[in-house]
Amino acid sequence: MAEFIQLLWSGILNGLCYALIGLSLVLIFKTARILNFAAGTMAGFTGWFAWWWATKQGIPFLLAILVAIVMVAVATLLIERLTIRPLINENFLSIVTITLGLEFLIANVSIRMFGGRAESLRIPGDIQFKNFEIGGVRFNWWHIVIVIATFIILAIVGYIVNRTELGLAMRAFAEDKDAARLMGIKESTVSQWTWTLSVTVGGLTGILFAPVLFLQQDYMNIPFIKGFVAAILGGFTSLSGGVFGGLLLGELEALAVKYAPRQAAAALPVIIVFFILLIRPRGLFTRAKAHERV
Amino acid sequence: MTMTDNEQTSSSSASAMQRAGIPVPGYIKRNHILGAFFFALTFLLLPQFDQYTTVIGFILVFAAVGGSLVIAFGAAGQFTLGHSIFLGAGAFLSANIANDSYGWGRGLEVEIPIALAVCFVLGLIVGLPSLRVNELYLALATFAIAYVGQQVLYEWKQFTAGGSGKSAGDLTLFGWEIGRGTPYIRLSLIILLVTFWICGNILDGKTGRSMNALRTSETAARSAGINVAWLKILAFGISGAISGLAGVLYIHNLRYAGPENFNVHLSILLILTLIIGGRHRLAGAVGGAIFVKFLPELIRDIQEYEGIIYGGALILLTLFSPRGLIGLIETFLRIIGAQLAKTPVGRFLPKGISGEIEPTTTTTSPLQSSALAGLASSEKRGHLTVADARVIFGGVRAVDGVSFEVEAGKVTGVIGSNGAGKTTLFNAITGHAKNGEGIFTLDGVELSNKPIFARSLAGLGRTFQNLNLHGDIRVLDHALIGLDREMHYGRVSEAFRLPHVVRNERKGYEQSAELLDHMELLEYWNEKVDDLPYGLQKRVDVARGLATNPSILLLDEPAAGLPTAEALEMMQNVIEYAKHIGCGVIVIEHNVELVADVCERVIVMDAGKILADGTAQSVMKNEDVIAAYLGT
Repeated sequence: MAEFIQLLWSGILNGLCYALIGLSLVLIFKTARILNFAAGTMAGFTGWFAWWWATKQGIPFLLAILVAIVMVAVATLLIERLTIRPLINENFLSIVTITLGLEFLIANVSIRMFGGRAESLRIPGDIQFKNFEIGGVRFNWWHIVIVIATFIILAIVGYIVNRTELGLAMRAFAEDKDAARLMGIKESTVSQWTWTLSVTVGGLTGILFAPVLFLQQDYMNIPFIKGFVAAILGGFTSLSGGVFGGLLLGELEALAVKYAPRQAAAALPVIIVFFILLIRPRGLFTRAKAHERV
Repeated sequence: MTMTDNEQTSSSSASAMQRAGIPVPGYIKRNHILGAFFFALTFLLLPQFDQYTTVIGFILVFAAVGGSLVIAFGAAGQFTLGHSIFLGAGAFLSANIANDSYGWGRGLEVEIPIALAVCFVLGLIVGLPSLRVNELYLALATFAIAYVGQQVLYEWKQFTAGGSGKSAGDLTLFGWEIGRGTPYIRLSLIILLVTFWICGNILDGKTGRSMNALRTSETAARSAGINVAWLKILAFGISGAISGLAGVLYIHNLRYAGPENFNVHLSILLILTLIIGGRHRLAGAVGGAIFVKFLPELIRDIQEYEGIIYGGALILLTLFSPRGLIGLIETFLRIIGAQLAKTPVGRFLPKGISGEIEPTTTTTSPLQSSALAGLASSEKRGHLTVADARVIFGGVRAVDGVSFEVEAGKVTGVIGSNGAGKTTLFNAITGHAKNGEGIFTLDGVELSNKPIFARSLAGLGRTFQNLNLHGDIRVLDHALIGLDREMHYGRVSEAFRLPHVVRNERKGYEQSAELLDHMELLEYWNEKVDDLPYGLQKRVDVARGLATNPSILLLDEPAAGLPTAEALEMMQNVIEYAKHIGCGVIVIEHNVELVADVCERVIVMDAGKILADGTAQSVMKNEDVIAAYLGT
């Protein structure tokens, strides 16, 4: 029993990582219909950047996180202004291409800046190495921090999207761009804030999971792919769907490692998701689109 | 003007094609000559670049995959991230067939056909998700397939030797040993040349046209009689087969392949390569491959900045030249050409570069031309019966038990206020309304349970209220897409451009040109429809409907937004053509004057039901109609 709970716990942890990346993807997609292929690399960059401030510049851990997040967010605003905004009314593919280009570019910049050798992000008190046990199940203190932080992030994002004027504008854009424009909502403002929010969520994920995944070149790539799958599973336009998709995928993986044949363990969750999508192509959490007018 | 040209001397009976300067489809195009030139140049200069053979080998591999992506992505518009598995499959098939130590020890003559066949079937399977999803979801589905595919390569130890990978077999062709280095690259070049020739033929034929139609408007493509589902799968199949062939070249070039080579990043890089080069042209595949594979090699110092260069190039190109490097070159050449045409040199330039067409008048009507005379039919078609048509959206009965019968070859008008269910009735008949019910019979053939494209092939033509044109496709191609059903050749003959393919194409081009002339669209044949004004777009939509050679043509507000005189002229042209081919017409129109002028019979709809039915004069006097139109 304890072993099973341990398994579920590890599934939850991985799942939260996918859920947060999924959330960062869904935020952008839902409002602006942009698929951000650079999300993983941007999250990884933020993790590296925090490490750089903390280790190389020697500023306090929490301050390093803050500085990294703020600087990445500002850089993102600049990128959004220069590369995304001019194409905002172009087709889906143009912007996907841009984000693919950003992915290559940022990955390269990140290696140039941070060296590309494996490093570790040191946390005050080294709590990532400290465990405690309840009923035979081992918990790691940093993992507890991750869970708490994730819930705080989810609560804040939920509050912004559902309770603030900005969130209302974002949801209006998601429903109908033209109508939102006619209501006097400024597209550039919505776009900027959405990007900031999305990159911040991604960046925090990169930092939170840096001690778990270890800082190495491309360390957020696999979580990005999984987060992508999670978002799709949730329908890509539902915030809670993306989070649930992440947790589902995390648990599927944890169980596959234990119960599936060894050869299939890595691919099985993706295969399962693939079949779910064949049956429900628009995910588990979205209703079918209204009848297309001809 | 001096008539030195042979074709020009007989201009009194010049066909529409000659007058508009539409190039006659043949076997050799300008692109073939350009391609052959660069092929010969590379072939001969190859020994000079001895130290680069592996790099050049990779350029050829990437170019071949790029060519395959021009079909699936550039033409058919299927954004796929799954192409790494075709390369992987091709590579390991080659290793297992060619390497003595694994058993068989055969040469390229066995490797290539098997790689093509296996990857064709694999492509059909990978294409399956495209039936249900597109864009983002298709990107994900193919991404997932590539991811799973790589795991399979890792775990299928007999096939790939797992993580350690397999080395390539000996390079032989029918027992001849082929040397590494230059001889092998020359062979790859020849293979690439043949592949591109075949890709080009496919893109020039009806398959390529249908794919372009599919990319730009799926709904319209179905109505033109294109089996969209099969075409999507086929695009993946063809593309997969060619990428499998590229996989064979890949392993012989690297002399080794491991599962780690075929990850999802390769898939992304492949599609980026084509986007950088220009996805609308085969030359784009080559341009992209050279940019991605050769540039970093040429300037060793920049290798560490590869990502910045690829990424930067991609961003800059997307922002400033959406059609890639080739698009950039094309624009450049067009500007140069236009400038040169103004100088004395202009006389020696081939026609069309400067984009100017000399208008000539002719006395014979297009309908009397040899191309269209063949389509004339004294037998009237288009006997349509509609029995109990119903379309219900939630609680709204948009069409509520409509039954009527239309005689062959007649022009019928359908009028009614907004929301009366006219367009929905059309959608039920053509199959566009998913929840449409009713029994529809056209000239004795029951349509009711057929998919949209099959109804179209059975003789049901239509136009769209909101146009639904094929965006960046030429006007001429809109007519050709409709006429494709008259071109009787198979896809294999098309790939090799056999003589009967060219004959059929020529006939189709002639008919299209005459049809455009009849609809007064000939001078715009080379324009993209997106660039045309609204009135002309309306005309293109109608011409496309006529091109399908329907038994009955359903026109959905063809004249909406046009001035009455222009609308009347267009309708008269349409009806003249329809009478010529013996086809019936049903037209939805709000302009009552127009309907009264051209329609032999008028059906009035209100709230999903038929309110009145008869001659224009009789329905106008009907009290119910007056009440519905003017209110009581």
